[in-house]
Parts: sequence; C-alpha cells; structure tokens
Amino acid sequence: MSPDLHTVEGIARVVDIQGATAWLEPEQTSSCGSCASASSCGAGARDANPAGGIGTVANRIAARRFALDNAGGLHVGERVVVGVAERALIRAALTAYGLPLATALTAGGIAESTWGSDLATMAAMAGGLGFGLLLARLVARRLSVRGELAPHFLRRAKPGETCGGSTT
Amino acid sequence: MKDFALMMIGAALVNNVILARFLGLCSFMGVTTRIDTAAGMGLATTFVITVSSMADWAVQHYLLDAYGLGYLRTVTFILVIASAVQFTELTIKKVSPALFQMLGIYLPLITTNCAVLGVALLLVEGHMSFLGATLFGFASALGYSLVMVIFAGLRERLALAEVPRLFAGPPLGFIVASLLAMAFMGFSGISTG
Repeated sequence: MSPDLHTVEGIARVVDIQGATAWLEPEQTSSCGSCASASSCGAGARDANPAGGIGTVANRIAARRFALDNAGGLHVGERVVVGVAERALIRAALTAYGLPLATALTAGGIAESTWGSDLATMAAMAGGLGFGLLLARLVARRLSVRGELAPHFLRRAKPGETCGGSTT
Repeated sequence: MKDFALMMIGAALVNNVILARFLGLCSFMGVTTRIDTAAGMGLATTFVITVSSMADWAVQHYLLDAYGLGYLRTVTFILVIASAVQFTELTIKKVSPALFQMLGIYLPLITTNCAVLGVALLLVEGHMSFLGATLFGFASALGYSLVMVIFAGLRERLALAEVPRLFAGPPLGFIVASLLAMAFMGFSGISTG
C-alpha cells in the first residue's frame, strides 16, 4: 500500500511568494471561532483584525506559517490543499509528547524505588522530562532532514472547499 | 508496584474519564472524525494532563495546604493548567518548529478541556504520593486517548455506512458512544481495590 493512500489533508492560503518558495498559512481547522460568541472572543478576531493580536487565532495561524517549493506556479491569495502522511503525524506526536513522558516516568520510577521521597521523585521527573525533550529535539531533527514533517502540495482547492480533511 | 498498577488500570478503564466520569465530552465528539487527529489530540492531552498533574500536586502540597488556601484550589488549578499548555506550546515550538507546525493546532483546545481540571481535582481527593498522582494523571489520560481512538475508528466506519437520514452524523455518534460506555461498564467487574 502506498503511503500516499493515507494522507492527512488541510487547506492553506498562499500569503507570500519569495523566488521559488511560496509561504502559506493554514486555515483554521477547529470549530472554535464559528460560534455565536465569536465576535467577542479572540478566536473570531481574524476578520476584525487581520493582522492579529497576542493570543488570537490570527496570531497563532501566522506563527504556523510554512514554506513550500513553488513548482506549481502559485499566486498570493490562492487556496491550496496540502498534506502530510498519516504515519508522520502519529510519529511526530509520539516524538513530541511520548518520548519526554516516557523518560520522565522512568526517571520518577527509579527515583521513587531508590530514595522513596516525593522531593527526589519530583526532581528526577523534572530532569527526565528535560532529557526527554532534548531527545525529542534530536529525533525531530532527523525526521525533519528526511522531510517527514514537511507538508507537501497536493492540488489547488476548489471554490468553497472547506478544511475538513479526508483520507484519500 | 502492584498498587500503582491496579490504580492505573482503575483510572484508565474502570473509571474512564470520558465514559464513566463524562469529562472531556467536547473533544470526544469534536475531534474524533478521524483516527489520526484523535490520536494526535489524545497524545497532546496525555502530555498536558501528566505535566499538570505533577504541577498541581506540588501546588496543592507546598502552597494551598501549607498556607490554608484550599478554597482557591479550582482557580489555582485553572491557572496551572493554562500555564502547562503554554509551557508545552513554547517548548514544542523551541524543540522543533516543524513539530509545532504539525501539532500546534491541538494545544489551544486542551486549555478548555474539562478532563484536565477534573483529573487534577480527583488526584487531590485521592491523597496520593507525588509518583502516585502523576501515574494517576497519566493513566487517566491514557484511558481518554484510548476511548478517543476507538470512537474515531468507529466513526470512520460509520461515515461509510448507509443510515437513515435522521440518524446520520452526531445522532448516530451519540448512540454509538452510549453503547461504548455500556461496553466499558464491563470493566467495573475488575476488582482494583
């Protein structure tokens, strides 16, 4: 089975073109910001304040801006469908969250059985968490070099297409 | 060791956060349309619940109990959870911007997840040691993730099934959730005491 058969899709908008590189921002994928109170909270602030402010969804989305090779001749303002392999998403989540937790709990378990003190266990778990995060950084760098964490261009989005994401 | 194992089984399966305590139902219905997003959300929540359990235990013992500020527990824990989410977000962003781009979308949703606050309040009531409280939080979060992934798998299959128009979508989802909750009631026969 080809890995492309299990792709997580999302819609992104081209916000800038720099030479052969297109910069994109993902569209909001959660239902937050679509409710009746959207105008009075940060989630719906994108329309009112496109530049975004601290803590707004616009600000968060701008922080998640990513680059793509502009082989398809994309233009600013175009909406495109991008995808990452389903397996890559799970692997990324395990690296970012699973690895630090595993090292923290292991360190805590060892400290508890050795010293049996809450303070020592707490210090060991904090150390284990830090070590796990460093380990995650190394693994993430390896995944990044292999190109597993980068979204790739799939197609131009159809008019009115929403970012529900589907398995193709 | 045996006590910890039984406590973890109890927290993950017998007293499951979603199906027995009815916490975190927003994400249970909202993020379970696909297995991969459910797994991503589950792992992110597991990390945040475990880290906030550690922080909540320390705050409860060294601040609230020590200075008789127990009445500020809920407010304090909300602050601790929000800080834990911010800490996670900043750390992931620093550790790997690529990972943050891929997974950052789930983190803001966790701040308002009542399961995180529910677990924090439960572990205080349990009067556990630091490791016990952390393992309780971790196991509760594992139970949450397990149910999220199972339910997402069921919903992926339901999306392909032909059902009467009246039941299509969330109504059928709720019926399946109730059947899943009844199935999990079977675990209550396990003696963990």
